[in-house]
Amino acid sequence: MESHLLKAFLIFFCLLGTCYGDVLFSSLSHTLVVTASPNQGQVLNAGEDSITVTWGLNQSFPTGTDELYKEVKVNLCYAPISQVDRAWRKTVDNLGKDKTCQFTIVNKPYERNQSIEWIINKDVPTATYFVRAYAYNSAGEEVAYDQTADGKKSSNLFEIQAISGRHLSLDIASVCFSAFSLLSLFGFFLAEKSKRRQVKN
Amino acid sequence: MEVPRTATNSEHPRFALPVDSEHKATEFRVCSVAAPHMRAFHLSWISFFSCFVSTFAAPPLLPIIRDNLNLTATDIGNAGIAAVSGAVFARIAMGTACDLFGPRLASASLILLSAPAVYCSAIANSAASFLLVRFFTGFSLATFVSTQFWMSSMFSARVVGTANGVAGGWGNLGGGATQLIMPLVFSLIRDIGAVKFTAWRIAFFIPALFQTLSAFAVFLLGQDMPDGNFSRLQKSGDKHKDNFSQVFYHAIKNYRGGILALTYGYCFGVELTVDNIIAQYFYDRFNTMGGLFCILLGQVGSLSASIAVMLVFSVFVQAACGLTFGVVPFVSRRSLGVISGMTGGGGNVGAVITQVIFFRGSRYSTETGITLMGVMIICCSLPILLIYFPQWGGMFCGPSPEGTTEEDYYMAEWNSKEKESGFHQASLKFAENSRSERSKRVDSASTPTNETPPTHV
Repeated sequence: MESHLLKAFLIFFCLLGTCYGDVLFSSLSHTLVVTASPNQGQVLNAGEDSITVTWGLNQSFPTGTDELYKEVKVNLCYAPISQVDRAWRKTVDNLGKDKTCQFTIVNKPYERNQSIEWIINKDVPTATYFVRAYAYNSAGEEVAYDQTADGKKSSNLFEIQAISGRHLSLDIASVCFSAFSLLSLFGFFLAEKSKRRQVKN
Repeated sequence: MEVPRTATNSEHPRFALPVDSEHKATEFRVCSVAAPHMRAFHLSWISFFSCFVSTFAAPPLLPIIRDNLNLTATDIGNAGIAAVSGAVFARIAMGTACDLFGPRLASASLILLSAPAVYCSAIANSAASFLLVRFFTGFSLATFVSTQFWMSSMFSARVVGTANGVAGGWGNLGGGATQLIMPLVFSLIRDIGAVKFTAWRIAFFIPALFQTLSAFAVFLLGQDMPDGNFSRLQKSGDKHKDNFSQVFYHAIKNYRGGILALTYGYCFGVELTVDNIIAQYFYDRFNTMGGLFCILLGQVGSLSASIAVMLVFSVFVQAACGLTFGVVPFVSRRSLGVISGMTGGGGNVGAVITQVIFFRGSRYSTETGITLMGVMIICCSLPILLIYFPQWGGMFCGPSPEGTTEEDYYMAEWNSKEKESGFHQASLKFAENSRSERSKRVDSASTPTNETPPTHV
């Protein structure tokens, strides 16, 4: 009975993937154009600096190409150097499983030639990045893209420095509580020793 | 069912539970907090639980910590190994400390010594500092040994297995509970308004405070043995202060300790490994933080198979751990602490080895690692078939035809000079009480007992 239930769950799980008709990155058309303000090698601070992104249709394509584009999403994506030995940032062709782009800069209905200034979130980690935009059709599937880095993702990358998350008050609290633990241990030992002396007498 | 004090214990009116000749409880009443037996039980499992919560507080928050501290998979693997490797030797040392100073002082001291590491987890800022705090926090897992030692000192042979199993099991529960507690505490703090990279740091104060308070409770409310604390008993001559090298020698000489250490490495060690890797595995594979709360949020479907498998795995792992430690109190009486420490330490060695081979860096995906770990578990559990007690038998053979008794087995740990000085008296009492371990085939004649028969109302 249990083995049948287990098999049913496993089959259900496998089918779940095919149900959603996963889109492959290699199938997208490279018809968008996106530019971002950071220069090659520039270092930005999370929570303080901002990125200005501009996107639209690549002019070398005929005007009607973007009729199907209903929505656009611009993402902050990890460069290969920040993906080394970090499987949770892995690039795979199946966009449903791809983890290259984990931060959304903007997600809005598609219009030609738009731009936005985005202050970098405080939970963006220290890493090397580039910007990528996806265009979606009315079914919510990716159909087109462009990115600020080249095809190999090796040029025109910038760095973001994360916040540390530490505060002076936290540091002080940690040290104080640690000292308190050690002092109380010392106090207990003294109490124990005096009790022993009492028993002896 | 409440039994009136005087009716149960006309011979020992100062104990709430019925006791044997060593004043160890012969019953295990889980809902009671009566001193000294059940109070010791609750103090030990709660403090041990707090140590597990602290040691495994980082794994469920790793998806945030790894971004804050810029960790690679290798860094995370190394920190996980560090978390369980400290306790390898700490457990053996703890066993010795229990033999020499008593479980109350030994465990409370260790818990207070490792609490600063948990507080300082909040100020870690690199892979190296993260590894160090996990390493020193992990030392607190040695309280397992003091828990087992304390239970073996408080409960007689008839119920020591239950006491050890329940205390160990409820303590280990901390490793699982923390996978739910830490994300909840983290999201509470984040909802109050803290940034993610600060919220996880504040969250660590919860297990740290819990650990500190439990150490205070052990120190102030606990008692080493039914008759009092080690220091008082040693001074009054009731407890002989044993010699470290003798204790250590008799433990090392006993092959059963080695086998139990290996098998424990592959049930408990595996449990520790899973505690370290499972949160990240669920998060990354099923792509959502909700995966961690799946039971709470009622998410079913793609996660159900994994959860079902984990539950079954967990039942068997815990049963194996409990059974292994059911045997430990009987391997040696003189060196109980060191044997407990070796077995417990063996558990951690298993965790270190498993993580080094399968879960460090990017050589194997986590899924492959888990499968290969299963194969290793089977291979390392087989030696338990070889354990043999001459007075009781082994898995496939009966007791020694020479008629070795429990007294012969436990007295072999003392030489004649020590016996002349009367140091072996405690072991003698234990041997007599352990006759209850005989199987029905051996114990054809009824054994005379000094125990007060329990009365029922």
